[in-house]
Amino acid sequence: MNTTATHWRTPTLILIVGCIILTLSMGVRHTAGLFLQPMTADHGWSRETFSFAIALQNLVWGLASPFAGALADRHGAGRTVLGAALLYVLGLVLMAQAGSPLTFDLSAGVLVGLGLSGTTFAVIMGVIGRHTTPAKRSLALGIASAGGSFGQFAVLPVGQMLISTYGWQSALVLLAAGVGLIAPLAWALADGHKPAAAAGQSVGEALREAGGERSFHYLFWGYFVCGFQTAFIMLHLPSYLVDSGLSANIGMTAVALIGLFNIFGSFIFGWGGGRYSKKNLLVLIYALRAVAILVFMLLPMSTASAWAFAAVMGLLWLGTVPLTNGLVAQIFGLRYMSMLTGVVFLGHQLGSFLGAWLGGRIFDETGAYFLAWALAVGLSLLATLCSWPIDEKPLARSAAAA
Amino acid sequence: MKAPWRWFLGGVAAALAVLLLVLIFMAYQMPELLLDWANISYCG
Repeated sequence: MNTTATHWRTPTLILIVGCIILTLSMGVRHTAGLFLQPMTADHGWSRETFSFAIALQNLVWGLASPFAGALADRHGAGRTVLGAALLYVLGLVLMAQAGSPLTFDLSAGVLVGLGLSGTTFAVIMGVIGRHTTPAKRSLALGIASAGGSFGQFAVLPVGQMLISTYGWQSALVLLAAGVGLIAPLAWALADGHKPAAAAGQSVGEALREAGGERSFHYLFWGYFVCGFQTAFIMLHLPSYLVDSGLSANIGMTAVALIGLFNIFGSFIFGWGGGRYSKKNLLVLIYALRAVAILVFMLLPMSTASAWAFAAVMGLLWLGTVPLTNGLVAQIFGLRYMSMLTGVVFLGHQLGSFLGAWLGGRIFDETGAYFLAWALAVGLSLLATLCSWPIDEKPLARSAAAA
Repeated sequence: MKAPWRWFLGGVAAALAVLLLVLIFMAYQMPELLLDWANISYCG
């Protein structure tokens, strides 16, 4: 627990502020796709030009997360979140003014990606984790994860309403103003916290220590599979449903169901992680995902099966976040939690990139999604096997910090 | 705060939260959002 923060920065306040920041950050990011049609039409760009910038954003987000985490671990989460929020706002405003693909790549891709790295899970989970007791940490991370899930669910319709009412350029500026609210909120996270137990360890030593632990690699590859599955399903499920003879409206409702049940799933698995073995819950999530996809493939396609699949996958969607981040804190301690969760999150983003791209590539090559679904099942089984041998015990060095 | 009030206010907050989620869920049925689904599915 923190001993240096001022008295008003209570764990509850930090949790609430962390939830609001994740809601804004994850929510606004989720609206990016809504701008494809109006922006490409106005500028005369191809869809590839637009989607390249968003793909770049995802990669920059993943690659910058360990560095944003290290900054937060070294200089405090407050400054990191403030700087990242300003980059995020600048990226959105410049995105509205971008007149060429290059400026669009730099704004929507690089600046927004950098902004996301400092205002999402790695940094926010780190500061929340540091301010909660081990007994309540997993629940707190679950609530924060549910906040991010709520943002994804809630801001998408708001983004569409803004585009419809004010046009895409004004909508981007208004969304930037929403992200700007993160800046003053960052003050509440300026804890200046430095847990003492691992104070003598450098960043390099912490990375080498984590790299030498098998459990860290298992967490990385498990998260890789999580990213692959969530990106593939979110991008390709509606098309798959339409290809299977269902209406686009049913596809949209399936997406809404994933978003809705994701809020409850994030909270439930966060709560469960405080009571049961986090590793076993990860095994359960990946195994249930494999079963859910397999049953969905084997059953005849219907509205009921599509919506049931969406609800089950929603429950299992981001439940991995509080468990994976909680395990990093539990095993390696709190001193470099943000940086190490940032490294693991890089695995998630690499998986996301591959899941989104490979799903389309497989469809283009074979004319069907069957192989991609089979790959999702196989990877899920692999993640189940990867999660099973994770050693949850704190390292001897970090035992006192956790 | 007395326990009955705590339960009452907690219940009101929970009901409002459920109402908010239902309204957001309904918002996903907007035709414009539906038409733009192709955008989302294209670039995540």
